[in-house]
Amino acid sequence: MRRTWAVLKSTVILSLLAGCSSDVGHDGSGANTGGSGNGANAGSSGSSGAVSNGGKGGTSGASGSSGNGTSGSSGSSGSSGSSGSSGSAGSNPVMSAPPDCKTDQVAHTALRRLTRFEYAQTVKDLLKVDPTPSDDIPADEVTSGYDNNSSVLTISSLHAEKYVLVSETLAKAAVQNLAAIDGCNTAMGEDACAKQFAQKFGRRAYRRPLTDAEVQNLMTAYTAGRTDGSYAEGIEVMIRAALQSPDFLFRLETTAPTNANATLVPLSQFELATRLSYLIWATGPDDALLDAAQAGSLGSKDAIAQKAREMLADPKAKLALANFFGQWSGTNRLSITTKNTTLFPSFTAAMQTAMEAEVPAFLDYVFSGDHSFKTLLTAPVAFVSGPLGQLYVPGSPMGGATPTKMDLPATQGRAGILTMAGFMSVQGHPDQTSPVLRGKFVRAMMLCDPPPPPPDDVNITLPTIDQGATARERFSKHESAGASCKGCHTLMDPIGLAFENFDAVGSFRTMDNGQPIDVTGEVTDSDDPALQGGFNGVAEMAQKLAASQTVSDCMATQWFRFASGRLELEQDSCSLGNIRRSFADSNGDLVELVVAMTQSDDFWYRAPLTP
Amino acid sequence: MNPLRFTRRNLLRGSLAATAAFPLLEARKVQGQTGAPTRLVVMSTPNGTRNALFWPTGSGANITLNTFCKSLEPYKSKLTFLKGITLNPQLQNGSLGGNLGSEHARGTGGMLTGRPLNAGTDFISFGNTTSGWGSGQSIDQYLVDKLMPQTAFPSFQVGVHVRDTQVRARIAYKASNQPIPPREDPKDVFNALFGGMTGGGMMGGGATDPALARLWAQRKSVFDLTLAESDRLKKLVGSDDRVKLQAHQDAMRDVETRLVGMVTTGDPDGNPTPATGSCMVPTIGNTDLKVDDQYAQAGQMQMDMAAAALACDMTRILTFQWSYSESEHLFQFLNNIQGNHHAISHDFASSGTNYDAYNAIQTWYAQQFAYFLGKLDSYQEGDGTLLDNCIVLWATEIGESTQHDLTQMPYVFAGSAGGKIKPAGVIDYTASGGKKKDNNQMLVSMAHAMGDESLTTFGDPSGQTGPLTGLT
Repeated sequence: MRRTWAVLKSTVILSLLAGCSSDVGHDGSGANTGGSGNGANAGSSGSSGAVSNGGKGGTSGASGSSGNGTSGSSGSSGSSGSSGSSGSAGSNPVMSAPPDCKTDQVAHTALRRLTRFEYAQTVKDLLKVDPTPSDDIPADEVTSGYDNNSSVLTISSLHAEKYVLVSETLAKAAVQNLAAIDGCNTAMGEDACAKQFAQKFGRRAYRRPLTDAEVQNLMTAYTAGRTDGSYAEGIEVMIRAALQSPDFLFRLETTAPTNANATLVPLSQFELATRLSYLIWATGPDDALLDAAQAGSLGSKDAIAQKAREMLADPKAKLALANFFGQWSGTNRLSITTKNTTLFPSFTAAMQTAMEAEVPAFLDYVFSGDHSFKTLLTAPVAFVSGPLGQLYVPGSPMGGATPTKMDLPATQGRAGILTMAGFMSVQGHPDQTSPVLRGKFVRAMMLCDPPPPPPDDVNITLPTIDQGATARERFSKHESAGASCKGCHTLMDPIGLAFENFDAVGSFRTMDNGQPIDVTGEVTDSDDPALQGGFNGVAEMAQKLAASQTVSDCMATQWFRFASGRLELEQDSCSLGNIRRSFADSNGDLVELVVAMTQSDDFWYRAPLTP
Repeated sequence: MNPLRFTRRNLLRGSLAATAAFPLLEARKVQGQTGAPTRLVVMSTPNGTRNALFWPTGSGANITLNTFCKSLEPYKSKLTFLKGITLNPQLQNGSLGGNLGSEHARGTGGMLTGRPLNAGTDFISFGNTTSGWGSGQSIDQYLVDKLMPQTAFPSFQVGVHVRDTQVRARIAYKASNQPIPPREDPKDVFNALFGGMTGGGMMGGGATDPALARLWAQRKSVFDLTLAESDRLKKLVGSDDRVKLQAHQDAMRDVETRLVGMVTTGDPDGNPTPATGSCMVPTIGNTDLKVDDQYAQAGQMQMDMAAAALACDMTRILTFQWSYSESEHLFQFLNNIQGNHHAISHDFASSGTNYDAYNAIQTWYAQQFAYFLGKLDSYQEGDGTLLDNCIVLWATEIGESTQHDLTQMPYVFAGSAGGKIKPAGVIDYTASGGKKKDNNQMLVSMAHAMGDESLTTFGDPSGQTGPLTGLT
């Protein structure tokens, strides 16, 4: 099942170089795109490399402009179907690798709405209040593992309702302690104070200076509260108006280029500051960053890199980094994860809380230490609070509320985030482990090479499970079920089964249903020399993954998807290539990876407006 | 659950006592209308079915309900089992020559849109297949635009333990890539519908409380500012982003009327004059939404409120979603079932633990549907009931669960849409060698039932045109 050169030719060099083949396009028009075309129909022929490239790319057709799209009403067009087509840039999969990559354009990113998480962090900073009321905003739709994909983040009626109500609750809380956000002495005149607040607060909320007309608009809101009310009520209504404004809810980048024909549209300093702030802090720029933008001191890539490093060292970066890794690993789903209470009685609410707390604590350990990707993947340590220590090592004492470091016994073969209890819990079923989900995680999120879809004609039902068999025995049925299942599962199962020493909540075990567990495995279908050869258990696999260029490049791709709020496209070949190289050159320094994001053309420019 | 007769005193006694203002129940806009309005309801339950135990035996109106559906017996005369409906060719396969999304994903995104999912790699890790989000508007939202119901909520989306936020968890779409999330918290639903501050229709009228009137005026001021700002911004962005800003404006207009107290009252004194003789505010209890064992409790509260929202004419278009498709919900509360629903649904043994468990779960879901129908049927409207004035679709994302089948969808209609539909027991479109109908046609039939009788096609053009036959 090794990928053949014939297939690679069509997907071209970047996927070789990058290990990520998902930039390969598929234009949705029904026409095949070279060898990567036919999607699943090719599946049973055994060329799974080709299949895995099928049907990918072109996502961002996405952005709502897609042919079929808009109002979909009855007689609407959208001829032969489908979808995504028009906007999709990936119709020609040919990409060239840096330094010959395209430097004259960047991909278009759809207008980005604040995610619920970003909204919460932003209002917390803006208003100095507990942001909990923002939990009422609906959870964001998750795309490719991330909740910030701009193609799908829109404002539904439910969002609109919550934006009104949540802003009211927050504004009311904020004016209880007005002095914290408004230092104005009303002796100088209430209107003057209100206007000053509109300017200062407005600049923070809209992440740029306000025009006189915009100040006037906020003053209109102020008047609606001040009339027959108090100064504080006026401010309260002004805050509500700011928080409901599209200038706050969306990250608008409307600065017009001086050259109307520019294919690379430069961003304003304020827009750059905003990108930087949401990337590293998941919140809007603070006054200092806005001042820097106002002073024009974010004008060079060096200046931005320096600023990025400063910001990464700030405690505010912790939550944002945890947000990325929580999404990448899936551990952000712990709050909606359930387990069978009979089979996994240890998975209590307190345990869930402790698992959730471990992720940022472990990340803090990585980032305050060598910030190396390898540490993230291999460190045999846990951060335990409450009952979590007992899950890792039975007999451990109850922990306190704050996660503390625990060295894990070498006999368990623990490996950083990859065997973290919370990670094992979310990459599993409520009632059993899932070698498929775990294998798929490594394929999709670490190798950027997700398994192909099952072919059309496959009978997806598995043979009956023999009670008492180990997962490996059950999964051998994928082999006997015939080539149609085997092709795909060969990619996942030998990886996923290596995790079997850890049950569906991450407890260590050596037996499954009374049978000893075999955790040997291998990464099939990879040309990366670091991944060749078999391994015994996750810890050995983690060493291979940490040494792999494919995995390093994929990590860069994952961050890129998160940073840019979309999937990578053809125009990203330079940006992404440079980011991957920087990350590799730094020997997998995760801080440098984030800094590299800020140095790419994709970060520095935007595409011209969609006509 | 004892529905409270809606009175000012009861409300003051209830959970809203802490809120400052209690304007009285207003008359709904339905007042003055002759006859009760027609409502569209969709209830979706996950993980398909087992044909042999689902479809009734017999023919036409003379049917015997099968194992899963025995609980529907009291409403048998109001049901139509739609046998022989397949998802249209694009949903089956897609023009890309591959599967756009797993069957679970396609059956979810295509359930009410009649369209394939967008191409893309958005869900690379979903069911080993690739797809984007839904590619067009769903029938419920189409009808919102078409009929523009003047209700407090143009449409209402309810969920029970949906939790997931991926493509498999969204059935309603405003447009391509614009999925609509459901409300999953019964407290939130209660507050939205019946809470004073949020101005759900029940409480929207009667500007007798100065504090509330003031809040409304302030909100109006903010809405005006925001809408004007969006108009300005729309000129500065590209066409695709304009779609997003427009969606924001549309959403604001959807909620503005009720949030600023502009839902008109037919009674200047604000006395209760409900749309129907039996419009009531249900009570709700507490439930922990994270606990699978409390599924039934959460579901019942949501159903009670959904029925009340329809009875009180606060909305005429409602979708109700249990869990997400491919659901791994646990049912330890039901016969102490240990496995997760999805895993159980793909065990194709014809007997044994999982066979029994799947049957028990499917029977349980049918019982929930029966409970909901019972609620709807308990509201008298004129000579009939609320259920009679509904077109209810009960749907799931796939057919035979072990096969991920999309060619024999277990769809059921309930109600007669105020007479526009004649419940027929079972209609087997493939009887006597007939050709299968496409799901698009069912969506067209739903539009016809709602009064949009000029509609001939909906969703992807690969589907057959015209409504289903045998319903009128």
